[in-house]
Amino acid sequence: MIARIAIDVLLAIAVLVTVLSAIGLAVMRDVYQKLHFIAPPASIGAICIVAALLIGEKQKQAVGKAALIAFFLYFMNAVITHATARAHYVREKGTWPPKEKLEVVDQ
Amino acid sequence: MNAWLIAAAGMSLSLVPCAVVCLRGGPVDRLVGLEMTAVCNSLVLLLLAEGFQRTLFYDVALSLALLGFGGGLVFARFLERWL
Repeated sequence: MIARIAIDVLLAIAVLVTVLSAIGLAVMRDVYQKLHFIAPPASIGAICIVAALLIGEKQKQAVGKAALIAFFLYFMNAVITHATARAHYVREKGTWPPKEKLEVVDQ
Repeated sequence: MNAWLIAAAGMSLSLVPCAVVCLRGGPVDRLVGLEMTAVCNSLVLLLLAEGFQRTLFYDVALSLALLGFGGGLVFARFLERWL
């Protein structure tokens, strides 16, 4: 019974995080802002699903494959985010690495 | 209908904002939408594999995660150089 509740809660967290991140992606205006919203589903969402599988699934092979998918999503997300941000920067400024030192904009 | 399939159906809703981003904005905005779609679809396929109790379906999710990464990198490189 407790395992059932834990699985439901973990799945609800994963769904909520993914849907809210997708909405945030659509709402944000800038590419750099949009890029931040890929990370929550790839990290929190995937880990919650793997944790739910770990509790509910008896076949360890399935859990292993799910963990491998979560691993790929988690680590490749950083690479692809950097590549996309770099592509956007090159399209805007025309060069990489940047000639001038990048500064954090103080709000 | 078990909890996994309900979660898969709920997570599928996240594809609607991704489609909106892919249909509007500049090329890089659309690429970000595509990357988000690949992540969401991998998770949906993961949930469907567990919901239908088919271990073989996990390979589909794994393939999509890998190909989505490769495709995103190729698109980013293409947008950076030629478009």
